[in-house]
Order: sequence, then C-alpha cells, then structure tokens
Amino acid sequence: MTKDPNEEVDLHPLSDIDQMIHSRARLMVLTYLYVVESADFVFLMRLTGLTWGNMSTHLTKLQDAGYVTIEKTFKGRKPHTIIHLSDKGRAAFKKYKKSLKQVLDDLPD
Amino acid sequence: MQLKISLKQAERKVLKTAFQHGLWDVFIGCVVLQFAIAPLLSRSLGDFWSSAVFLPFWALVFVVILLVRNYIVRPRIGLVKFGPYRKRKLTKLVAVMLAVNIIAFILGAFLALNYKGSPGWTHTLLLGLIVLLLSTIAAYYLNLIRYFIYGLLFLFSLLIGEWSYVQFRLAHHGFPITFGITAGIIIFTGLIHFFRFLRSCPLPANQTTSEETVR
Repeated sequence: MTKDPNEEVDLHPLSDIDQMIHSRARLMVLTYLYVVESADFVFLMRLTGLTWGNMSTHLTKLQDAGYVTIEKTFKGRKPHTIIHLSDKGRAAFKKYKKSLKQVLDDLPD
Repeated sequence: MQLKISLKQAERKVLKTAFQHGLWDVFIGCVVLQFAIAPLLSRSLGDFWSSAVFLPFWALVFVVILLVRNYIVRPRIGLVKFGPYRKRKLTKLVAVMLAVNIIAFILGAFLALNYKGSPGWTHTLLLGLIVLLLSTIAAYYLNLIRYFIYGLLFLFSLLIGEWSYVQFRLAHHGFPITFGITAGIIIFTGLIHFFRFLRSCPLPANQTTSEETVR
C-alpha cells in the first residue's frame, strides 16, 4: 500500500529530535562511539575526518551534555584521551534514531 | 550533505581502520616464506630442523611488527576497543580457527599413520584446502577479502608445485618458486598497505595542546 502524497504528515516527532546530536560532526562521533566500547581521541579523529580543534570542541559539548565520558591518562609524557559513550548518551542516541526514523518513514515517496 | 546512519557500516569502518596498516599481511607472508625456503634447507638440516629454524625468525618478525605497531602505527591511528558485537565475532573466530586446527591435526596424523602409501598430492591437496578454509573463515569474520585470496594463492602454490613436479620433475616439487612468489605477493601487498597508511595518516600535529583543551 502506497502513501497518499497529499496526506498530512505529522512532523511532531521532529520537535523531539535532540539538537545536541543533530549536528553532522557530533552525529558522526556518537555513531562511532555507539558501535565501540571506547576509542581514543586520535582514532575518532581519523574515523570522522574532523580536525583536532573541531573534535575537541564537539567532545566538550557532548561531555557537558553528559553523553560521553572522557578519561585522561598519560602514556609516558604524552596525554592520552579515551572517550566512552555514557549510558545517557546511548539512550539519547537510541531515541534520536527512533525519532528520525519515524519522521522519515512517515514522509511520502 | 549526504547523511547516512548505517551502524553496520560504521562498525565495519572501525574494523577496517584498525586493520588498514597491513602489518599482519607481512607476518602471514613471512609464514608462507617458510614453505619456499624450508625445502632448500632440508638436505643440509633435515626435515624437522629445516622448518624449526623458522620459529625464531617468526618470533623476530612478530616482535618487530609489535614494535612498529606501538611506535609507528598507534600514534597515527590511535586506539579502539571494539564493541560487544565485534568482540563476539572475534571470539568466535578464535574458537572456529582452533577447532579447525585441531581437526586438521588429527586428520593429518591419521592419514600419515594409516595411509603412508597414498600419493603425495592427496596430502598436499588436503593441506591446501585446510589453509583455504582457515583463510576463508578469517576473511569472513574480519571482513577482509584479501585473506581469502591469500588462502587461494596458498592452495594454487601447492597444486602448481605438485603439477610441476609431475610434469618436469622440478626440484623440491617447485615449492621454492611457487611459495616464493606467493610469499612475495603477500608481503608486497602488506607493505603497500603499510606505506599507503603512512601517507594517508601522518602524525597528528599539535597533539598535546589540542588534547588538553578537552576537559
């Protein structure tokens, strides 16, 4: 059964979309963190293609929102930053995925 | 902007990124190299020692690979701990590899003890098929098709070697040539991946200052 293009689409779920996640860079970071246990700063940077500065800014935002936990250690004299997706971040990502899917599925072809 | 959220693809990209350096290909190539060189040494060292001398060689290559990984690869690519899905897959890989190896060992011992008179190519074919099976399993679980190709190359090295012996009575069943070429291809592939990795992933600049900005 195909959907009627004139049928009114309920865009209400769009208001549920988490703006903290709904940015290209942060969405990429959270997507990768969602499928791994943890990754360090450099690995995430390589995966996403973000610059050091960008990555740093977005991670700080995600950390402030409580979506990621950042563990700082030292390897010899060099700092080593390990990033985990927090439980709150995992739940928020799942909710984001569900909301976005709902909106997109409801749109006519 | 193309926005694609495919968790499966993301997970595969993580694995591909972690394995892109090609160092394990070099190790596999060095293992295959034994099949090329051991026959040449068998006359002077005997069957056992001509193979056993490769153990310290493999150990050395292994240590060198670990050092290169720690001091050259990791600063460029970073570290990742795989998620539960990939961990389960890797555990399965180890379990299946172990099971196939044990079965192959038992089968090999059984054939060697009970069918001594059977033609040599039946044993070599069996060995080739077992290696192909192992490489196929590794390729499937690691999503690295080239491991399957390495298994095929190994099988062809055995078959072509046996065929050249039957046809031309080539010394050492032609294995120094066939396995030499196969080992060369595998090592070369690994080195290409490694140098491509070095080029595409230079050492990140301003690491200290930028990382420190993350609270």
